[in-house]
Amino acid sequence: MPFARFIGFSIVRAWQGFWRNAMMSLAATATVILMLVLLSGLFIVIAGLNSGLEFIESKVAVTAQLVDDLPVADRMQLVSEVEAFPQVASVAYVSPAEAMERLRASYREAGQELDTGGATIRLFASLEINLVDPNAAGDVGEFLASHDDVARVLTKQAEYDTLLGIINVIRTVGLVGIGLVGLTVLFMIINTIRIAVYSRAGEIEIMRLVGASDSFIRWPFILEGVLCGLIGALVTIVLVAIVWDPIQPAMVTIFQMPTAVSARFLTTLSMILLGAGLGVGALGSWISVRSYLSAAR
Amino acid sequence: MTSLLRRRARTDSAEASVIRMVDVGMTYPNGKVALADVSVEIPAGDFVFLVGPSGAGKSTFIRLLIREQIPTAGSVRVAGRELVRMRRRHVPGLRRRIGIVFQDFRLLPNKTVWENVAFALDVTGAPGTLVRQRVPQLLSLVGLQDHAHHLPTQLSGGEQQRTAIGRALVHDPAILIADEPTGNLDPVTSWEIIQLLIQINQLGTTVLMATHNQEIVNAMRRRVLALEGGHLVRDEAAAAYEREY
Repeated sequence: MPFARFIGFSIVRAWQGFWRNAMMSLAATATVILMLVLLSGLFIVIAGLNSGLEFIESKVAVTAQLVDDLPVADRMQLVSEVEAFPQVASVAYVSPAEAMERLRASYREAGQELDTGGATIRLFASLEINLVDPNAAGDVGEFLASHDDVARVLTKQAEYDTLLGIINVIRTVGLVGIGLVGLTVLFMIINTIRIAVYSRAGEIEIMRLVGASDSFIRWPFILEGVLCGLIGALVTIVLVAIVWDPIQPAMVTIFQMPTAVSARFLTTLSMILLGAGLGVGALGSWISVRSYLSAAR
Repeated sequence: MTSLLRRRARTDSAEASVIRMVDVGMTYPNGKVALADVSVEIPAGDFVFLVGPSGAGKSTFIRLLIREQIPTAGSVRVAGRELVRMRRRHVPGLRRRIGIVFQDFRLLPNKTVWENVAFALDVTGAPGTLVRQRVPQLLSLVGLQDHAHHLPTQLSGGEQQRTAIGRALVHDPAILIADEPTGNLDPVTSWEIIQLLIQINQLGTTVLMATHNQEIVNAMRRRVLALEGGHLVRDEAAAAYEREY
């Protein structure tokens, strides 16, 4: 019960403090919103690109075209050697006839018919290898390239590396940008709470004289900063929810991202926004209270 | 009301002195000696004047009692608590055993009389039922029951000081420290405040009043502690104001 009174007291005082110094509080909240909007954008783009990465990973990682007329026994031998790699998930043999059928299918998909002009085309037989760890494509690829039974090795490594590079650049630039905005937000909140502490100097002195404990003096200010973060996070969540409907189909088509449509994605994003908002608010006000509200004498 | 204050007076009677200073010294980091070798014992229920010229150490004396400062020598005991080794988290508990009023009242200008008194209870986590019970009792004790909803700016100086006294008594303290309580008041109002302090003292609360008001000290004939240059130069019962100014 005393704890409930403490919580109630602190929340009421924080709320009063927020509105007493409304201009500063709202400015701090606006910077929180700016930071969280940037964070949402980064989260959505990174999630999309990651999903694209998974899409590539899910495709055949390494294709080894076999030399013509490889005896079955040699082929079996090769398959078992490849399967011996711990990073290899599965190995599938694609016969020339099967390869031909795939080629025809892909033409049909494009609305055309494969016309060989009566000639007999013989495609390579190949092994399609799926990997547990896509980064191991290099090792497996090298082994196959040096193998006498293999004519040519194709990997998705280049494609994978390019996308990974893009993701890393976006993630780094985004995080640095958000970090800088985050510092500005922190500074705004520290300043807002500093002003709140100074404007209540008289009250604080009286609180100390009548025997208010440190927590009764400090927590209302900390909660005032948390309130800036909370309001900022809630506003951003509403904004994201509003623009979500138009961007969601784009996410699916651009990034091949089936997870984008699930409600879980939005929930996760909301939780991240809430956590970031509350975190920056609490950190800023905590720093301010530590720096500007001298320890009770 | 009366019973509330008296009940507290009995609980404190276990320890005879409310304030006990032994060989107290206070030297500031810049080398200034504010107090030296001060030993004082104030029994429960006493009414004591603290006199002395400006800079004699009265303010330091009071700051040591409410543990705003820690002495550089000696020991200070207030309401049964040893202050020198007291942990910081126990300071709020001590402050609830001490009521304090100042020359400049220190009321919150945007709160009414009622709210100013209730504030002292709210910030210490008192339940609403206690606030609603205690505040009217105190307002009636200090004679402000009809001014409960006035702001400090709508009150006279005497009424503001009464509000401050009501607030100081909110936790039913063992001792009331009044630092120049009549310094900003005209003679008639000053006497009204003194009458109120006497009444509070008669209800069992120890009163320590720092003052320059010669007329009041002479008329009251109470115990006088006189400080000069940081030394306790006089500690006399039923005394008058002498050469202190």
